[in-house]
Formats: sequence, C-alpha cells, structure tokens
Amino acid sequence: MSASPTLVARTGSFFHRYANPGRFLKLGARLQPWLTWPAIAFTLAGLGWGLFYSPADWQQGDSVRIMYVHVPAAMLASGGYAGLALCGLLSLVWRHPLADLAAVEIGPVGACITALCLATGSIWGKPMWGTWWVWDARLTSVLVLFFLYLGHIALIRAFDDPQRGYRAAAILALAGAVDLPIIKFSVQWWNTLHQPDSITLTGAPTMSASMLWPLALSTIGFSLGFAAIVVARTRAAVMESRIRALLSSPRRGGGAA
Amino acid sequence: MTHLPYIVASYGLAAIMALVLSIGAALRLRRARARLAALEQTNNRSAGTPFTP
Amino acid sequence: MTRKTRRLWLVIACVACLGTAAALILRAFSSDIVFFVTPSQVEASPPPADRTVKLGGMVVAGSVKRDKHGETPIATFAVTDGQAAVTVHYEGILPDLFREGQSVVAIGTVQPDHDFVASEVLAKHDETYMPKEVAEALKKSGKWDPRFGPPPSAASWNTMTVQDAGKNLSAPTTAPN
Repeated sequence: MSASPTLVARTGSFFHRYANPGRFLKLGARLQPWLTWPAIAFTLAGLGWGLFYSPADWQQGDSVRIMYVHVPAAMLASGGYAGLALCGLLSLVWRHPLADLAAVEIGPVGACITALCLATGSIWGKPMWGTWWVWDARLTSVLVLFFLYLGHIALIRAFDDPQRGYRAAAILALAGAVDLPIIKFSVQWWNTLHQPDSITLTGAPTMSASMLWPLALSTIGFSLGFAAIVVARTRAAVMESRIRALLSSPRRGGGAA
Repeated sequence: MTHLPYIVASYGLAAIMALVLSIGAALRLRRARARLAALEQTNNRSAGTPFTP
Repeated sequence: MTRKTRRLWLVIACVACLGTAAALILRAFSSDIVFFVTPSQVEASPPPADRTVKLGGMVVAGSVKRDKHGETPIATFAVTDGQAAVTVHYEGILPDLFREGQSVVAIGTVQPDHDFVASEVLAKHDETYMPKEVAEALKKSGKWDPRFGPPPSAASWNTMTVQDAGKNLSAPTTAPN
C-alpha cells in the first residue's frame, strides 16, 4: 500500500507522456501506415483463404466460412469494449485528455463491429440451428454489449459541457465491463444454444488446423483494422479540437473560416 | 458451395462496414488535416509566431 | 498525486462492488438463465402440461422414426443427457444439422404420459470444426461414429488433413449430406 501512490503517479506520468496531443499526432502519423496496410493484407489473406481454400465443415458444409467474419467480429466487439473501459479508467483516475477523445471514437466503431457480429451470427444461425435468434445467455449478453455501446455513444455526446459527458461515459464504460466476463463464460456457466469456445487458453483447439490458420489471419487483420480506424479517427478528432481552439482564439486573424 | 446466400450476405455486410468505416475515417482525417494546415498558415502570417502545440 | 490515488481506489472499489453484485444476481437467477433443461431434470420434476419448456440433449442413435402426415413430415426421436431419455414428437421440417448423435433443443410441452411434443426443434452444434474429408476418413477407418459420441481431439487428426484428405479427395467422395 505504501508504494502505491508513487506507482500510481509513475503510471500516470507514463500515460501522460502520450497524453500530449501534439506528441500523439506525431506518433499516430508514424503508426498509421503500419496499422493500415498490414490490416488490409491480413484481412484479405484470411478471408480469401477462408472463402476459397479452407475446407468445408463435415456437418455445416460451406456455411462454416461465415466463421471467418463472425469470430473476429465477436472478439473485437469485446476487445473494443475493453479498450473503452481502459479509456474510462484513464479518464476517471488520471483525467487523461486523449483517453476521452479516444473513447468518443471507439464507441461508434465498436458498435458497428458488434452489430456485424450479431448480424453474421444470425445469418449463420438460421441455416445451422434453425433460427435467426434465441434468447440464450451468449446471444443476450452480446446484445447487451451492443446496447452498452449505443448508450456510451449517446451519453458522451449528451452534455453541453463535454467534460461532464466524458465523466459520465467513463463511468458507464467501466460499469459495463461487467458484461465482458459474462459474455466470455456464458457458454460454460449455463446451458446455451451457442456452442462453447473452440479456442481456449487452457486446452488444444477443437478445430482443424486448416480452418484455424485463416481464422487467425483474419482475426489479426480485423484487429489491426479496428486499431487503424480508431487511430485515424482519434487523429482527426485531435486536429478538429485544435481547429476549434484556433478559431476561437483571440489571436486569430481574419480570412479562412 | 452450400448456403451461398448466407455466406454472401455475411461477407457483403463485413465488406460494406469496413468500407464505410475506413473511407469515412480517411475523408475525415484528410479534411481535418487540410483545414488545420490552412488555419495555421493564416495564423502564422497574421501573428508572426509559429503555432506550437 | 494522492487525489489520483484516491480516485483509483475509488474506481477499483466501485468496479469490485458492481462485479460482486452482478455475480450474486447471476447466481440467484442461474436456473432462469439456462436456455434449456435436461431430460433427467424433466424426469425428476415434470413441468405442468401447459408450460412451454426447452428440452436439450443428444438424439439417441437409432431412435429416429420419420413419417409423413399428408404433406408435413413427422419425426419421433429420443433425447438423452446420458442419465434419462425423453421421447419427442415433432411435426415439421427438421434443421439441416439434425442427425442421430447431434445435440438438439426441442421447444414444447411435456404431456401427461411424459412424452414431449415439440413445436420447434433447434440443432445445437458442438465446438468441433472438421473438414468433410477428415470426417469421412475417420468414419471409414472406424475410429469414430458420429452417432455415438463426440469426435476425437483435433490433434489426433490434424496431420490427417494433409495426408488422408488428399487421398480421399482424389477418390470420388461426393456422398450426399
């Protein structure tokens, strides 16, 4: 306990080194191509492999190819929300200005990927399970995640004073993180229609290696793509806030408006 | 391929979403960068001091 | 700095409280969150005939009888969880994945004679993903019968994907599914 204040301070200063918007713009500009191009390459490779070269499943037939979209989307839906919760923590404890901007930008992207997860799951469920939707624990908890994203998007923009919006949204992001372990373990804790995870930390994957490879590639591709889009949007947000500051600064000369 | 309509629908949705998100982000970034550059230029000209973040 | 530390502990305490509350709520409603009940649960305490329940389990090998009532197909099969079995009657088209040994969820009511009349049957697939050629090879070699249990672990047939699958691909294995 005695060491914690300095640790907290040190972690804070570490994060604050990247809180400087100017520094972030430089870092982001350097990082961007390393995220964007590998994202495109990995996604195309993974999806192309999955769509044309990976084998059909013995009982699901070719519909198993939906997995190469559905599973990465599901992983990112949870991962994106974890990112949102981390931004919430940085915002509430260290008043990190960049974390607030990032939280504003992660929200819509995360909501989109969660919607994609739900939609592709539904499309996959119809031919395989025989239904578009059931209210089992896995599906319901992911739907709750989608609504948490929507709530976060609305809340962070709901106040005239942006600082109050950031604070409220950060609390929602942290509280909503309770849903993440529920999503993860729902298929183990309760009887669900959704099957348990094929890839676990503890056991060997119950999936053919010929399907695991394209899945891994597309998961890497989707993750890099998510990061690339979030970084690009956050860079744009930093520039936009600087534009607003310049426009409202008394120093500003007339002309371009 | 079995279940072709379902596969096409899934991949189509993913492609549409990726395109909308990435093109939207790229356009927004380009617009912000251009606007900021223009503003900083006029600012520098009128104030004479470079803008430092 | 102490204010930041205090805020951090405050956030940690709040998240911990919320997590505990959520865990307790989920524990309390655990029996309501389950999507289906098992045959042995139905056997032990049969629900009233007017209550819709979801019965989940494995289709017993050799128990499926298909019939036709005019245009609509009728199926009768037994669903088991290894301890008890319940006979299910269903009128309608079964999902593609339905087969003996498959996990299914039947939605319907328990009749006074303990039979189950389903209004809907959903197939539940397991977490194993296996190429068709490998499944054919495993079945042919007698290492696995899908009607009687889950397939062997992926590690045991992953190498087969390369070797045997190629052999089987050259042979005409266009067995209808």
